[in-house]
Amino acid sequence: MTAFVVRRLIRLLVVVIGVTLVTFAILHASGDPVALIMPEAPEADRAALRQALGLHDPLAVQFARFVGRALTGDFGASFFHRVPAFGLVMERMPTTLLLTALSMTLALAIALPVGVYSAVRRGRAVDQLATGTVFLGQSMPVFWTGIMLILLFSVQWRMLPVSGWSSWASVVLPTATLSTFTAPLLLRIVRSSMLDVIGLDYVRTARAKGVSEWVVIGRHALKNAALPLVTVTGLQFGLLLGGAVITETVFAIPGVGRLIVGAIRQLDFPVVQAGVFLLAMIVVTVNFAIDLLYVYLNPQIRVR
Amino acid sequence: MRLRSLPLLVLALVLAVASLTDAQPKDTLTIALPSHAPTLDPHMHFERVGVLVNINMFDSLLHRSPKLEYEPGLATSWKALNDTTWEFKLRRGVKFHNGEPLTAEDVKYSFDRVTEPGKEKKKSPQYGNIRAIKEVRIVDPDTIHIVTDKPFPLLLERLVYFCIVPKKHIEKVGDDAFGASAPVGTGPWKFVEWKRDQYIRLEAFDGYWRGKPPFKYLVVRAIPEVATQIAEIKTGGVDLIRSVSADILPELKAHPQTYVSSAPILRVHQVEFDMRVPPFDKKLVRQAANYAIDKQTLIQKIMGGLGTQVATVVQPPAFGFDPEVKPYPYDPKKAKELLAQAGYPNGVDVTLHSAEIAVRPQFEAIAQMLTEVGIRVNARVWDPGPAWNKFFQADGKATNGAYFTWGNYSVFDADAVLHPVYHSEVGGWIGKHYTRVEGLDKLIDEGRSTLNRDARKRTYAQIQRMIREEAPSIFLFTQYDTLAISKRVEYAARGDEWLWLFDARPKR
Repeated sequence: MTAFVVRRLIRLLVVVIGVTLVTFAILHASGDPVALIMPEAPEADRAALRQALGLHDPLAVQFARFVGRALTGDFGASFFHRVPAFGLVMERMPTTLLLTALSMTLALAIALPVGVYSAVRRGRAVDQLATGTVFLGQSMPVFWTGIMLILLFSVQWRMLPVSGWSSWASVVLPTATLSTFTAPLLLRIVRSSMLDVIGLDYVRTARAKGVSEWVVIGRHALKNAALPLVTVTGLQFGLLLGGAVITETVFAIPGVGRLIVGAIRQLDFPVVQAGVFLLAMIVVTVNFAIDLLYVYLNPQIRVR
Repeated sequence: MRLRSLPLLVLALVLAVASLTDAQPKDTLTIALPSHAPTLDPHMHFERVGVLVNINMFDSLLHRSPKLEYEPGLATSWKALNDTTWEFKLRRGVKFHNGEPLTAEDVKYSFDRVTEPGKEKKKSPQYGNIRAIKEVRIVDPDTIHIVTDKPFPLLLERLVYFCIVPKKHIEKVGDDAFGASAPVGTGPWKFVEWKRDQYIRLEAFDGYWRGKPPFKYLVVRAIPEVATQIAEIKTGGVDLIRSVSADILPELKAHPQTYVSSAPILRVHQVEFDMRVPPFDKKLVRQAANYAIDKQTLIQKIMGGLGTQVATVVQPPAFGFDPEVKPYPYDPKKAKELLAQAGYPNGVDVTLHSAEIAVRPQFEAIAQMLTEVGIRVNARVWDPGPAWNKFFQADGKATNGAYFTWGNYSVFDADAVLHPVYHSEVGGWIGKHYTRVEGLDKLIDEGRSTLNRDARKRTYAQIQRMIREEAPSIFLFTQYDTLAISKRVEYAARGDEWLWLFDARPKR
């Protein structure tokens, strides 16, 4: 068990270092932030600013300095906001996490019952409807879904606010938008793993014992069918954070994603680096937790 | 368990929906901007979205009427004493939001804060606007003198947006707090609350010297997505949105709750050539490109008719504009002839760049028109960040040309477009890398070195004839600023792209 955890932790570390390195390299290849900070200034003023921001050093030196500081939680000051980038990101993190968590919950709340039901009633109307909706949901880009939901629920029916993050009502549409992105995939996983399981001998045995159908499904079949779902949920969490970037922009939500998008436009290196780093940490941590959960759910792994 | 709590969840949602009030309180004016500037300190950024907020909280020495004429602001009168010294009389009885009276000390402090005399590194990004100011002198409590290092004809233009800030207050709270949580000005609205990336909330200042603004509250929401802004204005979530593009104009004009107001502005469109390398080092090729563009069709088909053809980059409302210089006509035949004369009978391949997503349709249409006469364009659109790198840092690497729009920072003077766009020396902006027209630098310098209006007009007339002939750019059109406004608010778009919301009134 300990060996397992250590192995996973090392893998985590590698992923985080990789993400940091790639972000750093792409950013620094993408242009000169000083030209954006002071577009009309003469070259001498710009050179002075580059000096002050440490942008004149060789890339390797800049990277070493960045990693050194990042380890102490210091990602430097935002070029534009002139306050620590870490604070800017952390200020917005709860919003993004709340949006992501709510969407994941909603997606699971839809995927589990519907997925189980359509597996059990395979080929019937509900199953057909669900499978069709899955295709529809998966082929709609988040961006478009968001705008369509706004048009229907806010502009047409006046039920919910268009954008913002000020009341619980304003949380509904972004959460729904983000769920349509994840729910279909989860639903498909639930359905197919459920189909695998309900054909197995032990399920037939349970039925033969005279256990009621829904207990067979709920207590015996679902437990085993849930394993792949757990894995996919972990993976989807990262995708959801990515989807939150777009959702936050469409719904004008003050989250990390929108902050990073703005910072990329302005080449605000410290903010992008801090944002990507912290998001990566979260994804990696969640996946680590999922790995542990998996061990708990599936004793076979512990033996390995 | 999960299934049992589902009805509860639904109930909660329904309740949330029921408690929702989307109608705005009558005394609140809400506008949407794509983002907030990083600070509310009017001297520490140069973003349009910040300027639009700052002008409603702070005053400058001069103001501009909706007809774009100078009006007294915090200065009641002004005159040039000689070529480099200006005198300003200050308004009496003006109060800051914190109750302190405005003094000549505050005015001097505001300028010194940006010019930082004696300091090598300046922290204000607006320093370039007023770098000509050498000294601000307090003559008596109601009079100041501004001394420039050489004749500076743009001074008054620059003073229309140069906010006066309270010295004592800033020295007490510090620069950072002033910009983040404690901005204090003399303007129509005072600061209440700023939720970054959400909204800025301002409240009417009872002691405002012009009188109380008609709306008690001003809320500035940050909504990055255009489609979302449009949905908001249709449902009454906001009262005003900016930069409405031509394709959605008819929809917002016809909507029962909104109307549209537009005004011609300075923003001029052009494709600037890299004149250092072939083929645009040849005058004939540059002229051919100008003949190849059907500007009228672009304005009608892509911009909804909201554009004005221009002969050069100097805009009709700018000081120094010469109506005698006429735009290139659309003449593709002539374009082909010129191209052949220049030594490209079989055409030529070029790459053009653009860093402005908003003009992509125009850019692609122009690329197509050029290709049709034989200047085969590979059109590339970039995000602003990488674009700057591409065009300006890559000195010596040819790029052929770039589509730019330039808004003069709302300065109504030919110098404010000619210098950044064409001057090839330090201080020049694009021109430094692209433009090589013999004698042009000297004329631009001449235009900015005297206060004599007639002499300046003559110089700018000469420049416009020269660049019309030399064609350092494809000259296109100026555009309009288009606002969509809720019918419960009365307001009109301005030619300087300002949102001077003191003029906005509730409609009955």
